[in-house]
Order: sequence, then structure tokens, then C-alpha cells
Amino acid sequence: MKENDFNRRDFLKVLGWGGTAVALSGCGNTSIQDGQEIVTSYVTLPSYVIPSIANYFNSTCAQCDAGCNIMGRVREGRVLKAEGNPNSPINRGKMCGLGQSGVQAHYNPDRIRQPLLKGQAVTWEAALGAINDKLNGVKGEQVAFLTGGMSGHVQALFGNYMDALGSKNHFSYEAISPAVLRVANKKAYGMAMPRYRIDKARVVVSFGADFLGAWVSPVNFAQQYAQFRKGTRPEGRGVLVQVEPKMTLTGANADSWIGIRPGTEGMLALGVINALGSAGIKLPADIAAAVKDYTPERVGVNTGVPFERINKLATLLKERSPSLVLAGDAAEGYVNGSQNALAIAMLNHVLGNVGKTVEAAASVPFPQIAPTVGSRSSLNKLNDGLAAGKYKVVFSYGANPVFSAPAAMKFKDNFVKADFKVAFAQYLDETAQAADLVLPLDSAMEDWGTVVPEYMAAPEGSDADTYAQMSFRQPLMQKLYPDTRGVGDILLALLKQRKADEYKDFEDFYSYLHNAVLKNKVALGGKTTDDDDIFWDETLSKGIVPLKGVAGSVSAKMSAADLKLSPATGTDTNYPLRLIPAVSASMRDGRNANEPWLQESPDPLTTVVWDSWVEIHPKTAAKLGIAEGDIVEVASKSGSIKSQAYLFPGIHPDAVSVPVGYGHEGMGRYAKGVGANVFSILDPVFEQETGELALNETNVKISKTGQRVIIVKEEGPLGGSQDGRPKIAVQVQADKVDLSKEV
Amino acid sequence: MSVSNLLENWSKFRHTHPVEDKGHPDWEAYPSDIKWAMAIDLDACTGCNACSVACYAENNLPVVGKEKYSHGQAMHWMRIERYWDESESGFEVDQGARFLPMMCQQCEAAPCETVCPVGATNHTEDGLNSQIYNRCIGSRYCSANCPYKVRYFNWYDYPTTKDVWPSPMNEQLNPDLSVRSKGVMEKCTFCKQRTYVARNNAKTEGRPVQDGDVQTACQEACPAGAITFGNLYDPESKVAQKWQHQQVELTKEKQDKDKTEGNRLRGYRILEELRPYPSVMYLERVRESAV
Repeated sequence: MKENDFNRRDFLKVLGWGGTAVALSGCGNTSIQDGQEIVTSYVTLPSYVIPSIANYFNSTCAQCDAGCNIMGRVREGRVLKAEGNPNSPINRGKMCGLGQSGVQAHYNPDRIRQPLLKGQAVTWEAALGAINDKLNGVKGEQVAFLTGGMSGHVQALFGNYMDALGSKNHFSYEAISPAVLRVANKKAYGMAMPRYRIDKARVVVSFGADFLGAWVSPVNFAQQYAQFRKGTRPEGRGVLVQVEPKMTLTGANADSWIGIRPGTEGMLALGVINALGSAGIKLPADIAAAVKDYTPERVGVNTGVPFERINKLATLLKERSPSLVLAGDAAEGYVNGSQNALAIAMLNHVLGNVGKTVEAAASVPFPQIAPTVGSRSSLNKLNDGLAAGKYKVVFSYGANPVFSAPAAMKFKDNFVKADFKVAFAQYLDETAQAADLVLPLDSAMEDWGTVVPEYMAAPEGSDADTYAQMSFRQPLMQKLYPDTRGVGDILLALLKQRKADEYKDFEDFYSYLHNAVLKNKVALGGKTTDDDDIFWDETLSKGIVPLKGVAGSVSAKMSAADLKLSPATGTDTNYPLRLIPAVSASMRDGRNANEPWLQESPDPLTTVVWDSWVEIHPKTAAKLGIAEGDIVEVASKSGSIKSQAYLFPGIHPDAVSVPVGYGHEGMGRYAKGVGANVFSILDPVFEQETGELALNETNVKISKTGQRVIIVKEEGPLGGSQDGRPKIAVQVQADKVDLSKEV
Repeated sequence: MSVSNLLENWSKFRHTHPVEDKGHPDWEAYPSDIKWAMAIDLDACTGCNACSVACYAENNLPVVGKEKYSHGQAMHWMRIERYWDESESGFEVDQGARFLPMMCQQCEAAPCETVCPVGATNHTEDGLNSQIYNRCIGSRYCSANCPYKVRYFNWYDYPTTKDVWPSPMNEQLNPDLSVRSKGVMEKCTFCKQRTYVARNNAKTEGRPVQDGDVQTACQEACPAGAITFGNLYDPESKVAQKWQHQQVELTKEKQDKDKTEGNRLRGYRILEELRPYPSVMYLERVRESAV
């Protein structure tokens, strides 16, 4: 949306001021300290600024790893709202609630404002000096750097710093990531993250992939989903079947929801292949042999899914092609997670979907800026090294392992063993609290950077197979606090400690980025004859740099040789229930828990706010004598937490579910003490092939504590019943409506 | 609007309006070529809450915290209601839930308007049900009379309440609209601040408001594009075309199509039978029967 037409050249000129995309201070919000700041009178404003009319600056969302392109709405020098960039192939002008809340990360009252050395505020000189001192005499292999997922020029600089230190100990960690899926996809399709074309499919069968909620690139998928549901498509309205032990947001939108026994997802996939064979789909000999024993009857017994339903699913898939089968968190979080995901991928091969709804994605032509994705297995390695006393200096950026590692890993105890721990942080979260030195970061709305998304969505068009993109992140307003710094600026300062000569020309990260972009002008879509300033300004104002990517290919065949599906692990008589840690769209892994909009935004399924909860099937609850609001203790072999019970029919009776991301002991006023941290009680059980923590392999027992609360939630006491009123939220059977002519 | 005024002009509120006129109760005095309306496709809606958060960001809605939320004092102008099938709400589900974005339906014969003792809630010439904050005395009659329960009362002075907008969170507040104080009622305005900009821009350019000139915050955010918003009087607008295709007419309390069994359209308005003539049409959620 554009509220007025301002002069474009002036707009570009201002962007070219370098480092001060928005050079105005908010009215009533300036600190005029002895000429430190220039206060611009409203009488002499740049022509593009009209008081009361907003300007929009393109940037990139930092709330999750999908890398949606956003526009910051800026008025009188303040960023007010994030809106989607309509030219983005990822989010196409749209945004999720998590992304919207980015402004609350920026304006958060609990941000750290000064470097803290052993809890005391110090200057940046002292902070960086302390790092330099501690690194002196320390060998490269004694330095470890933990980061979250990373990409772009910050990553390039980061790589240079690790080289300068002579350290290869970069651990890329994400508490919640499709790490098992990446490995299985590589085997099944030949690439870790192909493009999924939900919009082209007539049927989507998702095995626990919450693609509308928190999986991979949800805003992109939600738009594809909207296309998929349109009856005016040539393929007609798509049908969604969701298979998972605990209903996710995607499951809540399914035409058919199958509450499967946890860990048997792969077996169901093989059962469906078997049924497809019986229904006349020609199976390759090796696959036919591999699924021979998985008859729907037998699979029905093991998975708890009636065999009629398996046959129906096979019929649906046979009749409506192309389809798309997805494997998500719920399928990969087991000891046999890779095999589950492989079995599910095999369905796509059998159904001929590979190449149609599973498409090859391109990768960026510059490996230095290509995304490094995080996983949990890297944290295990770091933890082992820390336990063995291998690391003297440890850095942490964009990760909070003290919060998100299971207590059984004893990560915190091992972390504090290192002599000197440095946390780059925006909040005093659990990891920052355990660190010796805390470096306060700029918010994503104050910082420079470039982002390359892992899931590479492409615009419609013939060159989609070579489409890759890099997105710009630029300051949307002046820094709120003088003593916070961008991660790139910190890395550059640290690099100057090692290689002063090489980096002396770069005053700050902005000049590094500016230089790096202009040096590669042609590769980034410019011409050698283009004026540098104009090229930079135009690139920045668009926010999206399309790149000629390296085309990939998806393998058309999959051999059944890789597939050795081991049976799901059984339950334990002492711990009879399976714990499913739930990843919600707003809370994710808990890094955004201090943004109050997210806390007050009800969980879509339970409608609970400001707390965690324990989802229990009503039948199981009746057996245990548990009523809604009872405070129950959820105990595993590794620990226990207490939370309120919520009776929920969308869960397998042998499972209970607790959302992750709650239960912070630090961070800030909106996160601290809200709910319980379910990460802490996870058993250290790992996926057999990748070494990833198997998130769904913890068995628990539930007991009443005797306390009871009234759950604070959006739904009323009727609990989602329409109380006999037929026309509130109306639903209609597909064969009763004519969708084909809708406008 | 006093009671005597209300009684004297009762016919304006209850008889001719909206059946014959176009929007405003005094429409002869204020002729308008705009009637803002919405269409929400429940089959596209995923219940993700993006619209609700966007509304908080756009409209300066306070975060009230757990305790006040438990008292029913949440200020979510746009909220997602979640329903289960009647037969399934007890024990088993074999399909998804039903999500319903609910906000002020901007009724043409709004039950809230007629009960306001001071005329703080009234009808605008572009067909909105508007709330004049500085006239509101906080009787809360309007909220009591609203069948959709989409009016929200400021029980506290949120700008001065701890941890609602602690500095520098207040710098995020949208200067295009006010921050409401204790004792007044508030509700969804169809992003009035945005429609005003669109109308003024169109006026400056000497043209009528065109479809696409304005998006509400919820519509703009919605990842599935479930919300359509525009001028119902403009036959070219998407929203008018949707209403027309679904044969939902603003001025009818029972749609003609509903009188015929087995019509294959899915547009409906909530609680139409109460005759509030809401300006929001919903499209039924579709479920595949073959699975």
C-alpha cells in the first residue's frame, strides 16, 4: 500500500546516505546531547517525508528462518508496523502473526542496552578487549562458536572470523528444525529441500507436517493452500488428509484427520503403498517386495488406523493425481524418524508426484552466503566437547541452548565449564545469564544484513528452476539505544583484532556490505555501466535480489534398498503415555516468548493464552480421573513439569502433548515464569541415522497434584460447541456446493 | 441521541432502513456512493491468528495480560472462534475444526446503535457502525445488545497500566488513530483510518474510490487471502461480485436462495434472522465427503 507518491529520486538519494536509511528521529523521542545528534526541523524535511504520511522501506523478517520479505511502515522516524512485500515470491505481500510481532522485538522494554561483563555494564572497548585477552594464547581448536541458522554476508564474515581464529568448531543449532527430513529428502529426492507444490496437488497427505503453522515456510505454504482449496482451479478443490498423533493447525484444517499411534507413520505409508498395489498401481519390483508384508489389515492393527480408512486413502490417491505427500515433525521425531520420512517419500515416487508436485529448487550461486542450517546433533557435539573440557572460549549467537536442551544433557553444567563464554543476545535469556560476557545486539529493525532462505520459493515463470534470491535487511529506523550493535559490526570489530590490515577499509558492517554488493554488481543483476550509487539504492529499495541460481534436479527413482523400517519403540509400563512436544505457530522454540502479542494470541486449537497446558484425550483423562484445569505433573525418566490439563479430542489416547517455548526463567517480563519448559524433561533418545534428538520418544506418566485452576482461554465453557445454533461457523459437504463458478 | 429523539425517529432506524435506503439513516441528507463490506471465505481461513495480531498492530489494541483475559476483558477486535462438530466435540474427531474470524459485522440496522443513550455509537454515511469515543459515557448498553459480542470496553486506563505499553513499546502506537482511555467502548472500525486515506486520495485525484485502493489490516496480513473488503455499491469490486454470485443481499433478512432446497451456493450471514443486516458475508467451509 502506498499512501502518496513521493519523488523517487529523492527517495533513492536518502537511502544512499549510508547506514541511515531513515535519518529522522521520532518527534519527542530525540536525545539532544551536546550536538551528538542532528535534529532535523520539520520545516526542512527531505521532500519524500510528509508528516503524517507513512513511508515504506523494504527489509526481511527475522522472526523465523523462512525469510519473508517485509516492508516497514515508517512515520516520523519510527517504524510502526511490518507489512508483507507484494513482490516477494515467498510471502507475496502477506505476513503471519509471528512476523507481525517483530516490532515488539524491536521496541521490547527488556532488551539489553549495554555490554555486560560478569553482570556489570561495561564499555564496548572493555568488552571487545576482554574477548581479545581471553583469546590470547588459546589455540583455534579451543574456541567454539554456536550459532542458529545463518546466511548472507554476516555468514561470510563469520566464516572469515572462524578462519582467522583457526577454528573449525562452528556448531549450527536449531532447537526445532526439519533436520531428519533434510537427510531423508537427500536420499529420496536427491535434494534436502525441494519445492513443494501444494497449489498444484489435487490431494495433499501430510504426515505431521504443520505447513500452515510452523513448518519450513508457512506463509508461502498458506498461500499455496489457498490456491489448492479453490474450486475454480482446473484441478478442482484439493483434499487435505493429515496423519499425526496430535492435531496441529494444519490438521485442524484437514478434510480427514487420522490420529495415528505415535511412531507408526512410516508403516502407514507402506500400508498405503501396499493398498495402491492391490488397487492396480504398478509398483517397481523392489518396492513391491518391500511392502509385501504391510497389508492394510496388519498395518491397521499396528497403527490404530482402521484398514477401511487405509484403503479409502489409497483409492483417493489413485483417483486424484497429482497428489503430494509430506513428512513433517510428527513423523521424524522418533528413533526410526529417517526411515519414517523415507517410507513417506516413497509414496511420492510410487504416485508419480516427483517432478510434478515435488520440484527441484535452485541454490544460490555463492556458497559463502548460502544458508547454513541448524540441527540438534551439532549441539550434542558441542556438549560432548564442553564436557570433555575441550573449549576454553565459547561464543553463542542466535541460539538459547540452556533453555532448549533437555536437562538430561546437562548442557548448562558443561557450558559453565568453559573459561570464557560470550553471548550475543537481545534479551538476558537463559544462555546469556550463564555467559561471562553479554554483547547487546541491535534489533532486526536496526541492523544491516542479507538473507538467503533455505526454502527457495520461486515466482511463476519459465525460469523458476534457476530462481534463487537474496534479500536485504536494512534499518527501518534509528537505533533505540546507542550501545547496542549489529552482529556484523561485532564480527567486524573482532576480525580487526586478528587481521587489522585486511579490514581497515571497512569502518562498519554497512561499508563491508556496500562494498561486497558493489563488487558483485553484475552477478546481482546490474550492468558494469550502472552507476554504483544508483545500483545500490535501487537494489536496496527493492529489498529482493533475484539471482541466477544453480538448478538442481530431483531424482525420479527411489530404491527400496535404503528402506529398513524398524518398528516403533514400545511404551514403558511405568511411563505409559507418549509425550508429543507441540510446536505452535506463534511460540515456536520460545525465542519470541517475550513479545506480548504472541502470548495474548490464543493457541488456535485449545485457545489457551499466557500459559502452557497438557493436552489429554478425554478418554485417557476419564481413566485417570482428570478434569479440565487440574494441575497435573508430567513426569519422564529425565524430569517432571507441572501444568494445567486441557481435555482435547484431537490427540491419540496414548499420547499427551505440551507446547514448547514456554517456561522461561529469564528473557523478560512477558516470558519469565509463564508456563513450563517441556524441553527440560525430554529423554536423551536420538534418531538412529542422524543423531538428532528424537523429540517424540519421551514416555511419561501423568498424576494429579490436587490443585486446580480455571484455564484462561478464548473459548467459552461450552468448549467449542455451537450450542445448537446451526448458522455460526457453517460447514458444507463438497458435493453439496458448486465451487467451479465462484468469483 | 436522546430517548425522545430515538423514539421520534424510530422509523428511520427500524423501518425504511436499510430496506429501501442506501446505508446512512439520513441518507437523503447524506447520499453516499460507498458501502464498505466484507466477504470471508471460511474454506480458505486456516485459523492462524495473523489477522488478529495485525489488528493489534494497526489499531493500538492493548495486551491485557492473563488475569484480565480471564475476566473476559481481552481487547481483540478481530478474534478467531474455534468450533467442533456437535457430534464430535466429546470424544473423537476425524476431521478438522471450524475456524471463524469474528469482528464487528458493521450492521446496517445495528442493535447497538439504537440503545446508546448518548448517540456515541452511530452510523456513518459509508455504511459503518462507528463509535465516537469522546461521546461515550460507558453505559455498555451497546455491548449488551450486540448479538456478536464484538464490542470491547476499556475497564482500565491501559496507557497508564503497568506493562501494557512500557517505554519504548508506546513508540509503536499508530498515530493515525487514538489510544482509548478508561470508560469507553471500542470495536472494529474496518480500519477507518485506512478507508479515510483512500477516500481522501481519491478525492484529491478527482475520481471515485476504486477497488484495491484500500485494504484492512487483517485482509492485508491474511496469508490465505480469505478476506475480501471493498465497496458493495461498486459493481466492479470483488466484494460486490462475491455477494452477487452468492445471492446474498444486504437488505434481506432471509435470502431468497435459502428458500429453495438444495441451492449450491455457500454465502451466508451470521444471525441474519435477528435483522441486524450485517455487512459481512461468510462463505461456508467445505469438507470433502469422499474421505
